This record gives sequence, C-alpha cells and structure tokens, in this order.
Amino acid sequence: MSTLLLGIIVIIYVFILAWLGWLGYRQTKNSSDYLLGDRKINPMIMALSYGATFISTSAIVGFGGVAATFGMGIQWLCALNMFVGVIIAFLFFGGRTRALGVKHDAHTFPQLMGYYYDSLLIKRICAAVIFISMPIYAAVVMKGGAVFIEQVFNLDINIALFIFTVVVAIYVISGGIKGVLYTDALQGMIMFASLLFILVWFYKIMDIGFLEANRKLTDIAYLVPDRLKDLGHQGWTAMPVTGSPQWYTLVTSLIMGVGIGCLAQPQLVVRFMMVENNKQLNRGILIGCIFIFFTVGSIYHIGALSNLFFLKTEGMIASELVSDIDRIIPLYIDKAMPGWFGAIFMLCMMSASMSTLSAQFHTMGAAFGADAFPKLGRSKNPNSTIAVRIGVVVAIIVSYAICYTLSANVIARGTALFMGVCAATFLPVYFCSLYCKWVTKEGALASICTGIFASVFAMLFLHKAEAIPIGLCRSLFGCDVLIESYPWPMIDPLLFALPLSITTIILVSLLTRK
Amino acid sequence: MFGIDDPGIWLAYLLAFACLVFSVIYGIVNWNKDDEKENSQRNQ
Repeated sequence: MSTLLLGIIVIIYVFILAWLGWLGYRQTKNSSDYLLGDRKINPMIMALSYGATFISTSAIVGFGGVAATFGMGIQWLCALNMFVGVIIAFLFFGGRTRALGVKHDAHTFPQLMGYYYDSLLIKRICAAVIFISMPIYAAVVMKGGAVFIEQVFNLDINIALFIFTVVVAIYVISGGIKGVLYTDALQGMIMFASLLFILVWFYKIMDIGFLEANRKLTDIAYLVPDRLKDLGHQGWTAMPVTGSPQWYTLVTSLIMGVGIGCLAQPQLVVRFMMVENNKQLNRGILIGCIFIFFTVGSIYHIGALSNLFFLKTEGMIASELVSDIDRIIPLYIDKAMPGWFGAIFMLCMMSASMSTLSAQFHTMGAAFGADAFPKLGRSKNPNSTIAVRIGVVVAIIVSYAICYTLSANVIARGTALFMGVCAATFLPVYFCSLYCKWVTKEGALASICTGIFASVFAMLFLHKAEAIPIGLCRSLFGCDVLIESYPWPMIDPLLFALPLSITTIILVSLLTRK
Repeated sequence: MFGIDDPGIWLAYLLAFACLVFSVIYGIVNWNKDDEKENSQRNQ
C-alpha cells in the first residue's frame, strides 16, 4: 500500500478523533463532566471503553509475542481477563463501586478511597502512587505502538511516537472523559473488527481448521529451541514444566499479576462510576466479555499459531526468526496479512495505544489536579478543570521521557509490573471499602503503605527481572538479589506484596477498632 | 479437548468459552434489569 494512501487514511482517522474530542469538549460544562461524564454514560460506550482501555498494544504486540514464543499458556490471561476483569469486576465490584461513588460524590479512585476512609492522606497517597507508577505503564504502551509503526511502515519511530502522543493529548486535554470515552468506543470497534479478521484470515491462508491447527502445533514441539527448553518450554500447546523459570514468569507475573491486577486499576474502577444504574453494568458484562474473547483471545491464539505460518513460509519458528518478542506480531502482520490490511491494522494498533493512553493520561491528570492539588486554579471558579488539564500535560511529558529509556522485550513485563503494584497497593483497601465495614482508616493506610513498600522492595532486592537491570542490590550488597536460591528470584513481587498488604489491613484494623 | 492434550491449556480455553456463554446468557436475561434495592429506594 502506498505511503500516500496510508497517510490519507491516518489523516481521516485523526480528524474523526478530533471531531469526537470536540464533541466531548462541547458537552463538558464542569469538573464532574470532565472527570466522570456526569455519571450518565451509555453502557455500550462504557463497556467498549473498558475493553479498549484494558487492551493496549501491550496485550496485542507484547503478549501476542509471548504467545508466539512460549505458547498457549498465555490464554489463561484471556480467560482471567474475562472471568476476573469483566464478570467478577462488574458483578461484585461494579454496582457497589458505583453506589459508593454516588454516596461520597467521588469523581476519582483516590477520592473514592479518601472519602470512604475519611482520610486526606489516603487520597493523596493513592494519587501519588498513580501519578508516579502509571507513567511507566503509559511509556510501555507508547513503545508498543511505536515498535509496530517502525516495523511495518518503516516510519521514523520518533516522528510516529510524537504524532500520536500529540493527537491523544489534544482530545484528552480538551474533551475530558467524554472525549476519551467517545474515541475509545470507536477505537474499540476498530480493534474488534481487525483482530477478528486476523483470526479468520489465519485459517483461510493456512487452509486448516481449529482442531487440526492445534494438533499441528502440538506436533512441532520438538522444534522448541534448547535455550527455551532449559527455561521449561515443553511446546506451544503445553504448559511449561511446573516450577521452571518460565512457569514462574507465566504464572506469577503474567497470569496472576495481570489477572488479579486488573481488578484494582484506577482507570478501570472509575468506569463503574460513570454509569447511571446497575442495568448498564449488566449490559456491560455481555459487551465486555465478547470484546475480550474476540480481541485478546484471537491475538494470543494466532500468536502461538504464527509458528505454523512461519514454519511453512520461512522454514523456522517465530522466536528463531526474530529475537525481540515485541517484534513477532508486527512481522506476522507484515508477512501473513493482505497488503491493504496493513493500514487497518495500523489503525488497530494506534487505537489500542490511544485508547489505553488516553485513559492513563486522564487518570494521571485527575490524580494530579483533582486529588493532589484540588485547589489549583479554583480560587475564582470551583468547577475549573485547569488543574486536571495541567496534570494531563505533565503526565504526558513524563511518560514520553520514560518511553525513550525503555529497552527491548519490556512491553509484557512492564504491563504486568504496573498491574502487580496496583493489586498489592489498592486491591485490599478497595475490596474492603465495598465489603468490610469493620476495616479502619489506620488499617487501610497501613495496607497501602505496606503494598507500596513491599512491591518496591521486592522489585529492588528480590525479583531478578527488575533487580538486575536496576542494580541497586548489587551496588549495596554485592549480589543480584538478596535470596539467590531458586525459585525465590523468579517469584513476582505481587506474591510477596499482596499477602502482606492483606494481612496488614486485617491485623491493623483489628488492633485499631473502637 | 480442542485438539490440545495438556489440560493446563485446554482448561484455559474452556474457561474462556464458559465466560463467553455466561456473559451472553446473563447479559440477555438482565438486559433491562436494574438493582431492585435501588429501585425501591428511588420509589421511596
């Protein structure tokens, strides 16, 4: 496809986004509109936005590449995204979160926690955690989009990154949450159609059925490279050897980190506070599950099956063809899909990046402007949104800077890391605000602090994947990690931090009950 | 099941399919159903 035609498609897409952002801007009258859409968002738009926010380029490029390298074990993530991220979240968290938000007139996740526990400190700490940790996740999402554009379209990565960051910035800053939601809904539909097409196209070009393809993939298990066999890889249709390094990464970091972490992500929690009643949430379960099944499920499935395609066309498996996991899916799209689809998939990837990024920027902006500095710019007009807008700008600049420091193969791990921190820090207090009235303010505060410190400590001194690149443990103690005996260096920080933060909230609440 | 021998993998597929079926049935059955408590509170 010619660069000119691609350029025209992208320009049309950007204009549509700008128009949707303008619609959001026109309908935003005050800070409640800007933060929550006045709690009257259409369930279809909310569910599509929830799904589109959930699924970033990390899910498509990062985890798709993980599926191509390590196999179908990653499908547990799809199943948990549906079961925990949609069914459990909407059924057991959604309605109560919405009611609590209305009761306390909370517009952000930190406000929800701060007002419920009647603690300004809790609100500020939650806001600080969001504003400090989320830029890392946002940077990872940015990198996912940039890698794809660089690979398929041979565009300069810096220019591509700059343009789509500016586009997102414009509609988030101007349109607020309505701008975010309207664009998310469009982007969600593009993602759904594109990823479904990739699934169908694979079976068409390979001329095989679902069962036959799975069996063929099982039959080529002997092609697993020795370096992956040493990590526990047993084939693309088999789980890794239990207790092997690959098993610990897959189960503790990717599946548990993301599967559990998705429950306590501030940018997803606020979606529940945007709808008018529980009827909307019931509808959201249907839309959300279908969306995740055909988007995430498709790309993980095709990621693993791409080995059959590469074996047939290139004579080797995916991970032998490209060493960087994050480049496998872009290469598959380039080689396997029809030429015209490149443009559609580019929109899909831009949509995935932008929908997640816009929610992150909005959440970080809200944490900055509505939670950390609520009085900024409001001396004359209490409904001013200027502080949140300033927060969005700061968040974008910080995320953009971090993006340039990221190395290869970080997309899937960076996502899991952020979600793990969210789970350890926010999940116990969030769950208790909905279900455990006996939990005290002191217990909640202690749990949040324990979650943060335990996560950071485990990353710096215990978990090999972060401790070695950071290097603080080596410089202080002369070793890569404090506990070097296997399997401790492989166990994700979430598995240390979450039980500790849960134990803390229970013990401290029992001790401080009146 | 699903042409996959390892239960560790096909169970993941089974869970995903089960969630899909549940969501479709639940969504259709409760499409217009609001929270009863909330309705009664509103009526009061």
